[in-house]
Amino acid sequence: MRPQRRLGMALALASAGWAAQAAEIPLYETGPSQDAAFVRFVNAGSDALELSAAGSKARSRLDLGAPATAFFSVNAGAKVKGAFHAGSQRSDIALSVKPGEFATVVALPGAGAVTQTVLREQPDDFNALKSSLALYNLDPRCASAGLSVVGRSVALFEAVPSGTLQRRALNPVSISVQLRCGGKPTATPLALGNLQAGQRYSVFVMPAAAAPRLFMAADSVAR
Amino acid sequence: MPATALAGLALLVIGESHLSQSNYLINPLHDSLSAQGAKVHAVGACGASAGDWLKTIAVPCSGDRSSGAAVIKGRDSMTTPITQLIATDKPDLVVIIIGDTMASYDKPAFPRAWAWQGVTSLVKEVGSTKTPCVWVGPPWGQPGGKYQKNDQRVEMMSGFLASNVAPCAYVDSLKMAKPGQWTTLDGQHFSLAGYKSWSEAITKALADLPAVQALKKS
Repeated sequence: MRPQRRLGMALALASAGWAAQAAEIPLYETGPSQDAAFVRFVNAGSDALELSAAGSKARSRLDLGAPATAFFSVNAGAKVKGAFHAGSQRSDIALSVKPGEFATVVALPGAGAVTQTVLREQPDDFNALKSSLALYNLDPRCASAGLSVVGRSVALFEAVPSGTLQRRALNPVSISVQLRCGGKPTATPLALGNLQAGQRYSVFVMPAAAAPRLFMAADSVAR
Repeated sequence: MPATALAGLALLVIGESHLSQSNYLINPLHDSLSAQGAKVHAVGACGASAGDWLKTIAVPCSGDRSSGAAVIKGRDSMTTPITQLIATDKPDLVVIIIGDTMASYDKPAFPRAWAWQGVTSLVKEVGSTKTPCVWVGPPWGQPGGKYQKNDQRVEMMSGFLASNVAPCAYVDSLKMAKPGQWTTLDGQHFSLAGYKSWSEAITKALADLPAVQALKKS
C-alpha cells in the first residue's frame, strides 16, 4: 500500500465517526447529514519533511519533487492529528475541518522549529467545464501577491495578502504565469501546462532566500 | 416507426431507488428503451449515491433487469462497482440516473463538496473505460413527504449536476414536466403513471442527444 494511502486511512480513522453514521442510514438515503471535509499537507521548505498521522507508523515524504499531498477526506468537525518531522524536529498537527471545507496545512521549516499555517477554503465553484486555479500566498515578504499570464496583459489574481488565498475559474488552456509582489514581477515564470477541464489546481508562493518560490499542485482527492 | 438512434445500442442503466422496485422506473424505462431496439441492462440500488458505484456496499434494496424479468432484492442487496458492470456488459452507452440520493432534501445545507467528490469520481471511473455516458438528473417531486423533497433543492441538485457531469451529457428531467405534474406516492417516488411519463421522456431525450446520435448503429 502506498504511504499516502496509508496516511489517508489513518487520518480517516483518527477522525472517527463513519461507523456511527452508517448505522443511521434510512431506507432510502437522500444525502449525508453534513458535507464532506478535506485536508492536505504541504512542505513550504526546500528540505524534505515527513508526515505522519496519529496512531500510525506510516510516514509520507514531502520534498521538492512532491511538496503537497492530495486532499484526504476526513470527518467534518473531528480532530485531525498527526505530525511533521524534519530530522529531530517534530511539529504536531491538530486541527478540525468544517463541513464543505478544504484545509491546507503548510509546514514552514525554520531554524530550530517547524511552524505551521492553515489555509481554508469553502469552494462553491465546482464546474466540470472549467479549470479552477487558486493562489496560496505563504510568503510574508510578498505582502500583496498577484499572478498574471505571461505574454498577455491578463491578471489572474491581484492583491492576495500573505497568509491568504484566492481562487477563480478559468478556461482550460495552456499558460505560464508571472508572480507579482506589490505589482512588480518577481521570481521566474511558472508554466502551468495544459489545464484540464474539471480539474482544480493551486499555485503556492513560498518564501525562499533570493525570491519567492512558486510551485503548482493539482487539488486531487485521495481515494 | 423509423428506427431511433437507440436501435441496436447496448445500454447499461444505473440508478437509485427509482430503479429498485418493480412498480417504479425500472420496468417502464426498460420497456420504453427496448421498444426502441436498445439492449438494456438496468441496475438500481436504493439509497446509492454516485460514489457508492465505485465500490461494493450493502444497500436496503435493489433491482436488476436485463433480458428477463426484473429481479428485486431486499436487504441482501449490494452495489456492483461501475467498472465491473461495464467490463461484463461492454455497453455502448452508460446511463446514470442519480440525483435524489445526493440532494439531502431533509437537511438545511446542500452537501456540495461531497456531491462534487462523488459525481466527479463516478464520471472519471466511467471515462476510464472510454464508454460514452449520459447523466439523467432528478425530476420534480411533490413537496414534503418522508424524504422532504422540495422544488428549491431539486433545482439546486439538477443545476449542480448540469455543471459537473461532463464529459457525460446531461439530461435535465426538470424540463420534462411541471413541478408536481407527475403524481408521487411519497413526494419522491412516482405512481406508475408518473414513472411511465418519465420513462418516455428519458427515452426521447436519449434518442435526441447528439452524443447518442453519434453512436447510431447503421
